[in-house]
Amino acid sequence: MSKILIIAEVKNGEIKKNTLELLSFAKSQGIESDAVLSGSGVARQANVLAGQGASTVYLADDESLEIYNTEQYTCLVTDALKQSGATQVWLSSSELGRDLTPRLAARHNVGALSDVTQLEVNGDDITAERPCMSTKVMQTCQFSKEGLRIISIRSGFFLAEQTSPVDANIVTLSIPEGHAKLKVKEVQVEVSDEVELNEASIIISAGRGTGGTEGCDFVKPLATELGAAFGASRAVCDAGWLPHKHQVGQTGTMVNPDFYFALGISGAIQHLAGMSGSKVIVAVNKDPDAPIFKVADYGIVGDLFKAVPVFREEIGKIKS
Amino acid sequence: MEIIVPIKQVPDVALNIKVKDGAVVEEGLSYVISSWDETALEAALQITEDVGGEVTLLTIGPEKAAESLRKGLAMGAHKAIHVKYDDAKNTDSFAYAKILQKVLEGRKYDLILTGRQSQDTDAGLTAPMLAEFLSVPQVTNIIRFSDVSEQKITLYRKGDHATEVLEMELPGVVTVNDSLNDPRLASMRGIMMAKKKPLEEIELDTIGVTSEMIGSHGSMTEVLHYDKPESRKEGKSFEGDESDSVKKALALMVSESKFLA
Ligand SMILES: Cc1cc2nc3c(=O)[nH]c(=O)nc-3n(C[C@H](O)[C@H](O)[C@H](O)COP(=O)(O)OP(=O)(O)OC[C@H]3O[C@@H](n4cnc5c(N)ncnc54)[C@H](O)[C@@H]3O)c2cc1C
Ligand SMILES: Nc1ncnc2c1ncn2[C@@H]1O[C@H](COP(=O)(O)O)[C@@H](O)[C@H]1O
Repeated sequence: MSKILIIAEVKNGEIKKNTLELLSFAKSQGIESDAVLSGSGVARQANVLAGQGASTVYLADDESLEIYNTEQYTCLVTDALKQSGATQVWLSSSELGRDLTPRLAARHNVGALSDVTQLEVNGDDITAERPCMSTKVMQTCQFSKEGLRIISIRSGFFLAEQTSPVDANIVTLSIPEGHAKLKVKEVQVEVSDEVELNEASIIISAGRGTGGTEGCDFVKPLATELGAAFGASRAVCDAGWLPHKHQVGQTGTMVNPDFYFALGISGAIQHLAGMSGSKVIVAVNKDPDAPIFKVADYGIVGDLFKAVPVFREEIGKIKS
Repeated sequence: MEIIVPIKQVPDVALNIKVKDGAVVEEGLSYVISSWDETALEAALQITEDVGGEVTLLTIGPEKAAESLRKGLAMGAHKAIHVKYDDAKNTDSFAYAKILQKVLEGRKYDLILTGRQSQDTDAGLTAPMLAEFLSVPQVTNIIRFSDVSEQKITLYRKGDHATEVLEMELPGVVTVNDSLNDPRLASMRGIMMAKKKPLEEIELDTIGVTSEMIGSHGSMTEVLHYDKPESRKEGKSFEGDESDSVKKALALMVSESKFLA
């Protein structure tokens, strides 16, 4: 029998949306799933996972797990796999998932499919679609040998069902050692109350067309007023106008919100690779030939400094 | 410090990529070093300039992959290893990681530095798999490094919610985010010097890579077909006075796309 082990992710003490999506999707396929819940002070969240469909929650709650690290997580998942008898492991293709997926696969001497955006699941026969070549091409792949299926899945492609917590069936894992040759010296968390890029349903992104820090500040209230996340192109982050955590794109955050506003962004492939899955794209750019207009549903050829105040004013009217 | 930089020669994704009958059209492709690997090479060069040592490029690929090795040598790498290999189409990251392991076993290295993913597959699997096969630690997606010595290195990893500062004892595997640096261009002198630098050629059978380990035999996954992504439907364009444009666009966004609904 097929069974899926889902690696849960937690942020600020709560299960992340990407994990809920994976559990919901497993349930919709009629396949049983277990979950691994690892972190510090996370035990309470087991019931959320159970509510979302996890049969058994393998729990590792320890201070040493506050920050993700490759070795401990690989050991924990390996232990949970042994106990659960799962035939598949599903992870999110977050930075955690990107780091863990290949290490875990190699430890079990199997391959992996990473950053998948579509999945067809027939027991352990899996056909996956994933973007490659900076999203210029899609590839359809499958596992070609028997064995454990390890898959990382991009968030935002499956719907997370709304559920309520139920009492979880918990199995406590023993805490493995971290890697003797790797130690965490410091963790630089940027605390902020800003909406996270990969959790937002609206994203307002600033490009080099904003001209500088002041231009970014000029755009930002539009995000705040919409309850949207504030994104940026790499050009903006590299120039230091905004911190790197705002970067959208292939090497920043991959996003697919309901509405994506690209303001003064040219639409280089690496930027498009990270946002062209957005449901509706709105672009403002002075240059009618900017590549961003090729993907925009609503393309405004013009000056963002003139357009943004009108957006703010008109949106204010619609809202009230 | 002995640094190995595995590089992959890949199609230039900045150019137009055509797909026909489920396959990527070869004609018109131009081959380059995967851009993340160039970032890794630049980091390796900076490290050896700082603490001494040598940078060795390593690629598994066809005859023409030698051009990418020469380019890397021209940028400043000290030597290169070319593992001759022709079955790229049927080879996944797992198989490459196994072959890389064979090449590296018995060689001295302190650091293996690569891109966080290759520009053609966008898989990001090979390097951590290699780290596991070699039983060494890994740190992926670094945006900075500091305090490099023969024994250890401090790495700043861009994690999901924080920058994680890690100290790794060597040897180990590190993958780089592209924001780490801007790779240098090869100088004229570099290009001249590259011609004289050692480029070792290795045949698979001489390092114990059997036919079972290569191509579809050695791979755990396979690509069934390639397609162009679904194109987005034609959008609406607004020109002229920004105020008019925004009002028109917003009206449609609300009525057609349920904006703010
Ligand atoms: C390996 C690699 C990875 C990369 N990863 C990423 C990534 O993850 N994310 C990313 O974004 N980039 C990434 N890049 C960089 C990418 O190639 C582009 O350089 C970058 O996206 C450009 O940012 P931009 O659109 O803001 O700037 P530009 O390309 O300079 O575009 C600015 C735009 O603003 C317009 N403009 C100027 N003034 C105004 C105005 N007043 N009103 C309206 N429009 C105006 C201009 O017409 C222009 O189109 C990567 C590059 C490489 C090589
Ligand atoms: N054929 C190869 N030769 C040398 N290095 C490779 C090869 N394939 C992959 N790599 C390395 O592994 C990285 C990640 O590859 P991938 O798993 O395909 O994303 C690449 O950027 C290279 O550094």
